[in-house]
Amino acid sequence: MRVILMLIKKEFLQVFRNSLLWKILILAPLAEFLLFPYTADYEIKNVKVVFVDHDRSTMTTDILSTFSASKYFINEGVVESRQEAEALMRADKVDFIVEFPADFEKSLVRQEPVKVHITANAINTVKAGLGSEYVQTVLGNYFMTMAESTPKVSPISADTEYDMDVFSELETASVSSLALQSGEGQDMQKMQLQLSERMQRAQRDQELMERQAEKAEQAERAKQAEVAARAMNPQLAQLVTTNVYWFNEQMNYKNLIVPGLLIILVTLIGAYVTALNIVREKELGTIEQVNVTPIKKWQFLLGKMIPFLILGLVEFGAGLLIMNLLFGIHIQGSLLLVFGLTTVYLLVMLGLGFFISSMASNQLQAMFIVFFLFILFVMLSGILTPVEGMPQWASYLNYANPMSFFMSAMKTVILKGSTVDNIRTQFIVLAVMAVVLNAAALISYRETAK
Amino acid sequence: MAVISVSHLDKSYGKVHALRDVSFEVDEAEVFGVVGPDGAGKSTLFNILTTLLLPDSGDAAVLGLDVRTRYLEIRKHIGYLPGTFSLYPDLTVEENLVFFATMYQSSIKENMPLIASIWSQIEPFKKRFAGKLSGGMKQKLALCCALIHKPVLLFLDEPTTGVDPVSRKEFWEILRSIKQQGISVMVSTPYMDEATLCDRIALMQDGQIMRLDTPKNIIRDFNGHLVTLQTPDIFQLLKVMGQYAAHCTFYPYGENLHVIFYEPLEKAIPEFEVFLQQNDITHGEIEQIEPNIEDCFIEIVKGN
Repeated sequence: MRVILMLIKKEFLQVFRNSLLWKILILAPLAEFLLFPYTADYEIKNVKVVFVDHDRSTMTTDILSTFSASKYFINEGVVESRQEAEALMRADKVDFIVEFPADFEKSLVRQEPVKVHITANAINTVKAGLGSEYVQTVLGNYFMTMAESTPKVSPISADTEYDMDVFSELETASVSSLALQSGEGQDMQKMQLQLSERMQRAQRDQELMERQAEKAEQAERAKQAEVAARAMNPQLAQLVTTNVYWFNEQMNYKNLIVPGLLIILVTLIGAYVTALNIVREKELGTIEQVNVTPIKKWQFLLGKMIPFLILGLVEFGAGLLIMNLLFGIHIQGSLLLVFGLTTVYLLVMLGLGFFISSMASNQLQAMFIVFFLFILFVMLSGILTPVEGMPQWASYLNYANPMSFFMSAMKTVILKGSTVDNIRTQFIVLAVMAVVLNAAALISYRETAK
Repeated sequence: MAVISVSHLDKSYGKVHALRDVSFEVDEAEVFGVVGPDGAGKSTLFNILTTLLLPDSGDAAVLGLDVRTRYLEIRKHIGYLPGTFSLYPDLTVEENLVFFATMYQSSIKENMPLIASIWSQIEPFKKRFAGKLSGGMKQKLALCCALIHKPVLLFLDEPTTGVDPVSRKEFWEILRSIKQQGISVMVSTPYMDEATLCDRIALMQDGQIMRLDTPKNIIRDFNGHLVTLQTPDIFQLLKVMGQYAAHCTFYPYGENLHVIFYEPLEKAIPEFEVFLQQNDITHGEIEQIEPNIEDCFIEIVKGN
């Protein structure tokens, strides 16, 4: 006992004296929390749009001003020809080209089908995808309001084309098209609006009723209801599709990224700092000096584990506080559960750090191994990209990814308020991982240096 | 009773055969020196005896305990000073000492008398970080940490490598006083002059013990006759000597050339002088001298 206390004391003395480590421990989370949520935002702003207007009618001028008014777009003006617009895109001056045909307004009034040509620069696929959706929304909204005031408007379709300078095969790939079906007359329009209101209300009621039930089940049911409604009247349903985002109502990306950052932070301390710390002892030769003393291997590992566990939890607590104060994310579930979960996860990461340190002979090696695993964990975990978008085999890999289990459990406890029962699987898996990794580290250390 | 007994010890790292069939014994209250160039296998031998490494084959017992099975007991009773400074540079002198005392479940107070003479020299710096000490001070601190649990046997792996001559001399005086307190010492060094300060030495080369005896006996048993000569151009002389290798063993020694003849000198020296004359080598007088331990070592390693 005296030995372990001494080991812990020594570790803390060293941590507090290591001014660089200390600064990193304070600055890393601050920098992460202050920068990352803003930079890693999926919202696209300042999309640069140029227009090729062959029509030059009141209607197109109207649409142009709508774009100018939007905070998502920068109206780069109107150019004479398509060639000119494409040159701008190649020079990376614009992200989108919106082309109106010569008889745009006339056709609309005559209720003939009209095509608006949208070209997106798909070098940044996220920007292209989301941006074209925005463009379509702006156009759609315009026609919606217009349809209300003018009784007779023809169907419009906007073709989106992703233009990528580098990958020319994508140039003409039409990925999505917006088909806005407007009604045939005022009565019809009214009916639609009434119906949409009613459906929205119905949906809201349904939501209130189902709130208490499990999320997945509910989403499924809501979807079913929607599908059913659509089957009844496909045309109308298309108009009234409304998304309601549960547990993150404003679809605030920060609500997802901030708990993810907490997890990254805990992982860094658990695996990185521990592995590097022990390998440093190897480099200095101090581990040899400790190994010739009669202390046992488990005492040595425990003497490392406790200080870094405490550090990790303190850092995590600080992160939670920042999360709450800065981003207003409140923990819906029990705080004790959050800390319990983090403790188990930290034990997994500490075990991983120990195990890596038993294999690496210098800090550079340890760094590379941890870094490689860290990137893998993060990529698969769903912190930065949604797990749902991954292929099946990737989700199988996730069964070996502690970060993924921790992430899914943390998300539901923090954002949704889940209890122990909901995250039992994650708890058990992480606990098993912790035991296996720490045992492996202990055995590995016994083998390399008794 | 032997504090260390080693028989037919063998250890390889992949293709490198670090120890080949090493056998010896170290007696109680003896300063036992292991002498040899870098890569001779000294550190491997130390690592096995201090229970940091397992031998491939052969037996080793420290204080009568098998290094393979009873390492925890061995560790309680031995002190080890590794070849490189291995204390925590970011802990102070005092913190290092307290740390290691605790690791041995001992305390500074308990064993102060043993280290008092060394500790008094570093005590003024006890609040200084160990990493900021001078080389000699570091070694003294390391020695204190290795002695703080009152070991019966002390292992010192090249304790004076990289230490200035004055500190080296001091260090050996300390070793002598440690021995007087009944502690056996096994020490390795690449410095031949330090070898004579040991009670017995083992000359190691390529993982083998070439010779094991007291320094006096090793010098006494020197095989051959040693002469020294001076020359203005030692490089020219060394070039020429290649042709004479069949008749003698030669090696540069400082600015001189040392030559070992195995025939009586009355016959060997005149012949040698004729050879030098034939090759236009100007040289000083060819003098017979008493070999030192270094000459003995080179003779054992290079000799015919």
